[in-house]
Amino acid sequence: MMTNINGKAYAMTAITPMKPWKTWIVRAFFFILGHIKPLQKDLVNLSFIHFARWVIIPRHRFPNLENQPKEDLRYDYMLFFSNFNGTWNQYIDAFSAVLSRGLNLIWIWSEKFPGSVPVTPFKQYIARCQFDTDYYYTAYPYATTNDVKAAHRVEDAVTAFAAESKNLPPDEFMRGYQRLLVAVQADLGETGEPPVGT
Amino acid sequence: MANQSGSVYGLTVLSPVLDDPEAEVSHNVAIRKYLSTLPRDESSPFSKVSSTHMARLVVMEDVVFVGHPAHEEHLKSQYLVFESNFDGDLDTYLTRMAQEIPDAVESVWSHCVGYPGLKNVRAFVAYIKRCQLTTTFYFADVNNKTVQQTLRALQIQSGLARFIELNQGKPPSEIQSAFAEFWNSVETASPLAPGAKGVGELPCFAAGRAAGSEGGD
Repeated sequence: MMTNINGKAYAMTAITPMKPWKTWIVRAFFFILGHIKPLQKDLVNLSFIHFARWVIIPRHRFPNLENQPKEDLRYDYMLFFSNFNGTWNQYIDAFSAVLSRGLNLIWIWSEKFPGSVPVTPFKQYIARCQFDTDYYYTAYPYATTNDVKAAHRVEDAVTAFAAESKNLPPDEFMRGYQRLLVAVQADLGETGEPPVGT
Repeated sequence: MANQSGSVYGLTVLSPVLDDPEAEVSHNVAIRKYLSTLPRDESSPFSKVSSTHMARLVVMEDVVFVGHPAHEEHLKSQYLVFESNFDGDLDTYLTRMAQEIPDAVESVWSHCVGYPGLKNVRAFVAYIKRCQLTTTFYFADVNNKTVQQTLRALQIQSGLARFIELNQGKPPSEIQSAFAEFWNSVETASPLAPGAKGVGELPCFAAGRAAGSEGGD
């Protein structure tokens, strides 16, 4: 069983070391990215990521409870979590092709990061820094993030039509129904079994 | 706050795993064994905590060494990483976990340092918060819909496609009455179980198929 995969979703978990002074540069970059929405355009346009996050753990801030020995680290660490659709190879290829500039700005501060282009050393680096998932759950395993967005558009359109078309004479109902079909036709792709891939 | 995007909360937790050389089965192995038996569909415990969009559990044994000239270093503890994307606020979510899936929580976190058990829910909530990390940057593609709203939309999308297919070429009055039946079916359909592998079938289509087969069609 591939625990990184559930239906059409793939869970990627990666961790990279960074010199502590460099994490402030990454924080500043994320701060800007978080506050200037147009900069997230490429991430949105990729449209196969349900949820993603970057979490910087300063070297002295690993959770420490009771008599657990305190960590003694030289690096800060950046954790990366992604919930995406498609295969690992497709994901890294697309990331490398579409987001290379943004990825470089995020990861160039991590030790030994080779750059996101060319893709072969980039994949080797990610593979080295990645953990396999022990358990992965998704509430809608059969749906990609594009399916989810399309479904909400269809729901909005058909809900509005159902309300507007009540009690209309059949011919008028039919004209509205045809307009509905034109409006939603691109959003009716069936969800179903995912393709097999790695 | 970076832990949130719209109405979706991104929780990241690192719980140190107990290190007991005397244990018959080491705690990290015990967590992994348990997780490998846990269903991942609508029988998953996270399906019960129905505000969960996506969640993962990972045992992180150590940090990685990326090669020379980087410095090689190691963690003193292993950590259980819990990543969840859910609707609403953190306290409600953790309280639901404690109350609705106590067996799963106990089976996983009883192998972690400082886990207080579930007798006192507030102590559990406080414990998870002590292990929580603040997200530096959080991205949620759809961040304004709950799990239930999304499941319903997927059910409607699939139902409408089927409806259109079944009613092609019929006269307007027939389509109109079929649509009324379809929409009634949508409004009265039972909600989909989170985690299920498909959207199921709306009652109006199930009835139609039964009638068709009775007619020898």
